[in-house]
Amino acid sequence: MKRLGLARLSAALLLAGAALPVAAQLPAAPAAAPPAQLPPIPAWGGTLEPQDRDERGLWMMSADDEQLIRGSRFVIDDPALNAYVRGVLCKAVGADRCQSVRLYVMRVPVFNASMHPNGMMQIWSGALLRMRGEAELAAVLGHEFAHYERRHSLAGFKQARAATDAALWAAFIPIAGLAVSLGALQGFFIYNQAQEKEADLGGLSFVQRAGYSTAAFADVWERLIAEEDAGRVARGQKPRAGRRSGFFATHPPSAERMTYLRALARQAADTGDPGAASLRAGLGAWFGRFLEDQVKLNDFGGTEWLLADLARRDGWTGQLLSTRGDLYRLRGQDGDMAIAAGLYREALAKGHADPETRRGLGLALLRQGQQAEGQAMLKAYLEAKPDAGDAAMLRMMAGLPSPATAGPTQ
Amino acid sequence: MKRHILIAAAAATLVAGATPAAAANRLIVPNVAVAVAKSPMMVQADREWNRLGARPGPLAETWTLDGDVLNRLDFYGGLLAGTTLFREVDRRNRPLPKLRADMLPTDIPTLFEQSYRIAQNTSLFTIDSVAPATLGGANGVRFTYSFVRQDEDVTRKGEAVAAMVGGKLWLISFEAPALHYFDAGIASARTIIASAKLPGK
Repeated sequence: MKRLGLARLSAALLLAGAALPVAAQLPAAPAAAPPAQLPPIPAWGGTLEPQDRDERGLWMMSADDEQLIRGSRFVIDDPALNAYVRGVLCKAVGADRCQSVRLYVMRVPVFNASMHPNGMMQIWSGALLRMRGEAELAAVLGHEFAHYERRHSLAGFKQARAATDAALWAAFIPIAGLAVSLGALQGFFIYNQAQEKEADLGGLSFVQRAGYSTAAFADVWERLIAEEDAGRVARGQKPRAGRRSGFFATHPPSAERMTYLRALARQAADTGDPGAASLRAGLGAWFGRFLEDQVKLNDFGGTEWLLADLARRDGWTGQLLSTRGDLYRLRGQDGDMAIAAGLYREALAKGHADPETRRGLGLALLRQGQQAEGQAMLKAYLEAKPDAGDAAMLRMMAGLPSPATAGPTQ
Repeated sequence: MKRHILIAAAAATLVAGATPAAAANRLIVPNVAVAVAKSPMMVQADREWNRLGARPGPLAETWTLDGDVLNRLDFYGGLLAGTTLFREVDRRNRPLPKLRADMLPTDIPTLFEQSYRIAQNTSLFTIDSVAPATLGGANGVRFTYSFVRQDEDVTRKGEAVAAMVGGKLWLISFEAPALHYFDAGIASARTIIASAKLPGK
């Protein structure tokens, strides 16, 4: 079961690449021509209710999924983070629409957002980590809401009896990370191009009305592809970008998508706020936790690319430098420890005060045989965090006597 | 909780059903030293355990009391640098981290955590404590951990003792649901860990 999510996703991609069953059955979309302008936001007809037998079935399956999600330990229940993400959604789609959404923030280090037809919306921590700013987050949430409001999954359900939007996002990093396979509808259904475009435009209309930058969203695809390719290259595989085979041969021309999104942003005379600072503030301490989840995926190339991308936004902060030090230290190949030590030192020079940086530096130095300096760093860490879970081990490695209370646990 | 145990038991049955007949499970008799993990590591149990036919890797072995979903004791017998803790789950796309001969004691729980996060598809994994310990007379590390598997809301607890000897990793870990099963099995697991003998030690 645990690998089902990935297997399913791969199958969905293969299917899409080979036959495009859903798109083929739906009316062909003139996706190539860029629209003249963002569509007006339609009047809100109130919370959706199922209207026919198919839709009632879809809602029942959605309710089952939601029960699973609600009980899942992967849901982040921190009120501050939930209030922040919900606040961005509500600002984008407006208070009336927002009332119909139940939002779940999931701790899964993969880029994904989805919305079930019954009003359950999910955003995964891997998406929050990769957002350039609040405007982009608003665009992703607005995009999902637009699918929901237009009942896109019902159209797909009638055709394919399976639905969610995961493939839209996950298609770009399908297997670089983890996937959650919660619920029957987490089936990686692929919306057709017309629906995607409709949701792109609907999402951007929300973003523009809320006063956010409409340009922020345009290169999200490009970044996801670049990150995945960096991971593949580091694993000795061929990059996928530019290869017109499999999924990319038949499905969404992401370049075209970027083109029309950028054209629209220009036409909308973009003066809005990308919201980089407000996003960082909104994520708070979770940003560091999401970074840590990412580093532990053992995806060196992808993570290296992502950290550099975050640094393009924020500059090389002490936190990013220290995280990059962790990335090299965890890989631990020849020469990595010296690079890691250099990065930790840079972080410290920038005043980064997290004791973990000293721990990382101490361990990187010990791995290089620099005993005295390494031990000094571990001592500094232990002074800052005397109750750390690994204090007993680190005390020994730092050459400190073991206090009577800190012996091996039994 | 009861529902999850039932689901877990059903899953265990499915896994067992998929095991080739050649890899049969075997009873471990108490108070008799046995070699484990296709390695020279010897241990002795204080009660009956079951050795599963399915192995996590070529130099590994799993014992259980009530089924591996409810409690499992894993032995890793002298893993070499360049290998992974257990069998790859998706080598091409999500490769497991590889052992290094120069790993520090603290690098062992780190490798363990990364391997679990990847293989179990979970971001809910924490190392709770790391302390000096010995395994079979070799200096090493004892660490405790907790994690949640995907599709479950059961918190599992684990405890492991490991040592690097001559560039090889020797490790024994016990894990079980935090509710009841961990406490019920940990005493016997610790007895087995304490009985471990490594070659040349």
